[in-house]
Amino acid sequence: MPLDQQTGPDDAQLVARSLKQDHEAFGQLIDRHASVIVNLAYRMVGNRAEAEDLAQEAFLAAFKALSTFRADSKFSTWLYRIASNKCKDWLRAKRPGMGQQDVDIDEVLDIHVAEEQTPERLLSQQQVAQELEQAIQRLPPLYREAFVLKHVEGMSYEEMEEILGVNGDTLKMRVYKGRLQLSRELALLNSA
Amino acid sequence: MDEQELLVQRFLDQDLTPEERVEFLQVVDADPTLRRRWLNLEMVVAEAAQLPRMTPSAKFLSELKAKVAPPPLSWWEQLWATVTTPRTFEWNLAGAIAAACVAIVSVAGLFAVISPRVVEMQVPAGSAQTIATSTRQEEPKVFVRLILLQPGARSVSVAGDFNGWDPAQTKLERSDGGVWTATIPLKPGRYQYMFVVDGKQWIADPLAAEEATDGFGAQNAVLDVAI
Repeated sequence: MPLDQQTGPDDAQLVARSLKQDHEAFGQLIDRHASVIVNLAYRMVGNRAEAEDLAQEAFLAAFKALSTFRADSKFSTWLYRIASNKCKDWLRAKRPGMGQQDVDIDEVLDIHVAEEQTPERLLSQQQVAQELEQAIQRLPPLYREAFVLKHVEGMSYEEMEEILGVNGDTLKMRVYKGRLQLSRELALLNSA
Repeated sequence: MDEQELLVQRFLDQDLTPEERVEFLQVVDADPTLRRRWLNLEMVVAEAAQLPRMTPSAKFLSELKAKVAPPPLSWWEQLWATVTTPRTFEWNLAGAIAAACVAIVSVAGLFAVISPRVVEMQVPAGSAQTIATSTRQEEPKVFVRLILLQPGARSVSVAGDFNGWDPAQTKLERSDGGVWTATIPLKPGRYQYMFVVDGKQWIADPLAAEEATDGFGAQNAVLDVAI
């Protein structure tokens, strides 16, 4: 869900009520943002149960630190940043063979890998979705994160800058590299 | 990233001006290789936007909300919270008038109901002891206990202002040790009285705090009854 498509009390009002021990208000924040957080985590870790665990950790961390939340930024941005960091922490700790550098340092892709591929046969829509899901999981985490926020969650680069704390040009480069790798993999499948 | 690649990426990121977009479309139209590369990337973007979204499970939502909910209060904490929670009393003139009427009627009713009441009083030490007042008449009465020690008497009665000096009206009862007692209700006031022993011997109350002459050379006991 795009960050601003909400009805009812806005996030700032719900945060203020939560700080006054109105736990129902935080429940509304959960309802409002759970889908994005769970999906973001799912795209990052590729496992539903882990995704919900990470989403829960993110919400609980936000709840505990709510008094430190500064009202000059959006709650959603703050929450997504927490969730993103939880996912990265998980990837560092749990993903076999994936070390700190793999998560934190941009991989250098051969920009010429996207060779022209002529689709010999077209994959069905469902096949494409499945293959794309798997291909996203194979992206380096930083590309994956940027690609998911941009093209799966539909965020703008400005929103992504706020959430990830990375400048727009870097994010564009990560999204570009992600797109390129995914394009290459799907093209290979089509030509198989 | 070569120039053409950059152009494709800027197109996908919607960074091109309208004029640049037209120019880009003209370029890809003339270059099948570039067009195919662009279309592959467009497919990735389009498919990514349509990936199925996962709905958070009910278990996830309920567990999470339970974790951020406050722990249940003990009955004492609930009671304390109930009695200490600040409340706002909202009222209007009609409600206030109605409440005042109810209060007035209630107070008036209360006075009507509680007119018989119990009053304790102190009286001077003596044989006449006040026990209490309890009467259903409008004017309260005080129960006064009269005591006389006469171990040898066969009967003892009392005569005074309160019974028209008729000793037959108020008899004392004997208890252990020759103590004779009677409890009589009296309105507040000042009374003179005497005990009558065996129906013939008139004696003043030896324990009375006050005595008064009877005008015939004898002394009556005096009892002040007040509330």
